[in-house]
Amino acid sequence: MSFRFLLRAGVTGGALALLVGGVSAMAGEYSLTVDPVQIDTGKFTRQGIGYNGASPGPVLKFKEGEDVVIRVKNNLSEQTSIHWHGLILPYDQDGVPGISYAGIAPGEIFTYRFPIVQNGTYWFHSHSRFQEPDGAFGAIVIEPKKREPFRYDREYVVQLTDAHPHAGSRIMRNLKMSADYYNRKRQTIFDFFSEAREKGLSAAFDNRMMWGDMRMMPNDIEDMQGFTPLINGWSSIQNWTGQFKPGERIRLRFINSSAMTYFDIRIPGLEMTVVQADGNNVQPVAVGEFRIAVAETYDVIVQPTEDRAYAVFAESMGRTAGVRGTLAPRDGMAAEIPELRKDPRLTMADMGMDHGNMSGMDHSNMSGMAQGKVSGMDHSKMSGMAQGNMPGMDHSKMSGMAQGNMPGMDHSRMAGAAKKADSFYAAGSGLLPSAANGKKFLSYGDLKAQKPLYVEREATREIELRLTGNMERYIWSINGVKYKDAEPLRLQYGERVRFKFVNETMMTHPMHLHGMWSILDNGNGKWNPVKHTISVAPGTTVYTETEVDAPGQWAFHCHLSYHADSGMFRKVVVEGGPNAAAASPATGG
Amino acid sequence: MTSKFIAKAIYSITLSAIIGATSSAALADPGHGKATRIGAPGKVSEAARTIEITMHDNYYEPENISVKEGETVRFIIKNAGEFVHEFNIATADMHKAHGPEMMMMVEQGVLLADKIDRDAAKKMQASMGHGMHDDPNSVLLEPGKSGEMIWRFPERADLEFACNVPGHYESGMVGQVKLSR
Ligand SMILES: [Cu+2]
Ligand SMILES: [Cu+2]
Repeated sequence: MSFRFLLRAGVTGGALALLVGGVSAMAGEYSLTVDPVQIDTGKFTRQGIGYNGASPGPVLKFKEGEDVVIRVKNNLSEQTSIHWHGLILPYDQDGVPGISYAGIAPGEIFTYRFPIVQNGTYWFHSHSRFQEPDGAFGAIVIEPKKREPFRYDREYVVQLTDAHPHAGSRIMRNLKMSADYYNRKRQTIFDFFSEAREKGLSAAFDNRMMWGDMRMMPNDIEDMQGFTPLINGWSSIQNWTGQFKPGERIRLRFINSSAMTYFDIRIPGLEMTVVQADGNNVQPVAVGEFRIAVAETYDVIVQPTEDRAYAVFAESMGRTAGVRGTLAPRDGMAAEIPELRKDPRLTMADMGMDHGNMSGMDHSNMSGMAQGKVSGMDHSKMSGMAQGNMPGMDHSKMSGMAQGNMPGMDHSRMAGAAKKADSFYAAGSGLLPSAANGKKFLSYGDLKAQKPLYVEREATREIELRLTGNMERYIWSINGVKYKDAEPLRLQYGERVRFKFVNETMMTHPMHLHGMWSILDNGNGKWNPVKHTISVAPGTTVYTETEVDAPGQWAFHCHLSYHADSGMFRKVVVEGGPNAAAASPATGG
Repeated sequence: MTSKFIAKAIYSITLSAIIGATSSAALADPGHGKATRIGAPGKVSEAARTIEITMHDNYYEPENISVKEGETVRFIIKNAGEFVHEFNIATADMHKAHGPEMMMMVEQGVLLADKIDRDAAKKMQASMGHGMHDDPNSVLLEPGKSGEMIWRFPERADLEFACNVPGHYESGMVGQVKLSR
């Protein structure tokens, strides 16, 4: 662990946990101050919000089974709150103003008390307005009671964010004024003429009309651009560095604390073995690259053997920015910064296009359309496809191979070579990623619980949640209704609810249910993984199931800060259960 | 009895036995004094010592072993986990090369997370002409199953025992064989 990182993270010793090893003497007692801080990205400096004097805040290291007491002092001149993202706890400790409690007033101290009933990588952040995009977040590492199903010599938190020179409230105002305010990639009149030259005027025109109807553009992948991505608070030039000795196994705990940005992550020259997703162990899977949605966490193990610097590179999904950190045997080394790849374009498939509307469609976008019907299709039925491809794989090519060559052959490269369909993207989607090194790109379909938390059983009922919005007016909603105008979602304690997410927008939404796990139906049956954040790509339908086992009231929202704030948010009330009497509604909001 | 026992210990667990294939050339003369760089299958009569190995998800107990140069050891291996695991003695490079074979078995539906599909193994044998997993230095076990291996270690080698089920080696299911005089 680099000394610079310690300073940056603002670990001030005492009750605060250290990144690696070292258990605090006063186990169970922690204190945090919420402070105005300076954020220096090397590109710009701005006022922001941090914890214990820094953004990101410290890494809180808890132990599974302990009862924690966390004193939070608000040194801001406005209300604040801390939500413990992904932690299972009593609802009144969940830290959402207006749902769990009233928030923490300026100058006040709020003391959180809850048992730690899980282990893994999580994070915490303010749930008040735009304090999280302004820097109010930190990491949580929970040491397990039992031996983990993997082993490592060293570990680092790799917490990502998309620092913007503008304050969150200003960004929201600008987006409301003009939804493409921060979209530098928006097509211009010049693009129109070049498209008209290529495809003919009428095709280009029809194409525009089509996207216009959707109030979207094919390059509306990141609606907040112009940010500087950071790793643990460090930009590419500042170069966060984690040290290693060649041959060591390193556990990297990736956390995406961005306001708006999905990242594709790779370490050129190394294979990453994914061992945990959203704090829960998964059956290990080796990949060349993976995509991390906003609010997700992934733990990977890497084993660099060479005595050289390796780049930890996080490239934004829309390819507008990237950040490089370094794994190096010595301090002061810097790995080369990979170039940004070509930006993806949304296709008609990402619109979940209905066939009735296809007449005016331009042909170049139709490639995926043969399968286009698939986009509306039931996810659960498709999930077998990912594996379904394998038995059907081109055998003739394989049998011709000399058997003697088999052991040496680079099999993962072969598997990645044929770009597999991924049922978590619309068929023909422009968003479907592939690994820069040609190896496997992690899919949701690859996630299998190592030790399932819940027994498999039939859901008691299904609730449809259509993810809806109007890009032009920057209104985001669920089932067409904004949070402000919506009734809470009522669940009964003890039931198992099946959520059907239908993404009717052209943006990808990371949906986060507080207080209870979301079991992702990715077709792996009893091994369906549990997550706290479920990414739903445009033109797709994704199912999750939740064992309603936590009484009280909870937040349920898109974790893109500006989508959540503009209405893609619901309050969930769990009725009945052991603490039913205590779960009386808090002050509204 | 002895030779029968060895054959059973080594081959019953491996895929070639599962699918009824004949042993490969590599196995033709085990214990014929032709010690490879990793050692060779041994005779039970030569094994003065038994080491018990318990396979968990996804690690071994013990995590490392110590043996004497040239020693013949009888391993009793138990899979106490909920997933299929392998006990394979080889060099790090050999394990690296073995990984893709195991991946192929997964892709062919032979090696499932918690069981071995014998029908799929037969199909794989029929279409690819080999079972892919018939090495004498390896024992592949379904959850709850036990197996044995008698191994004569060489004088000098850098050996690891490891599980090459995809993802397991990478996540640390590998131990050192410490060779001493
Ligand atoms: Cu959160
Ligand atoms: Cu959203």
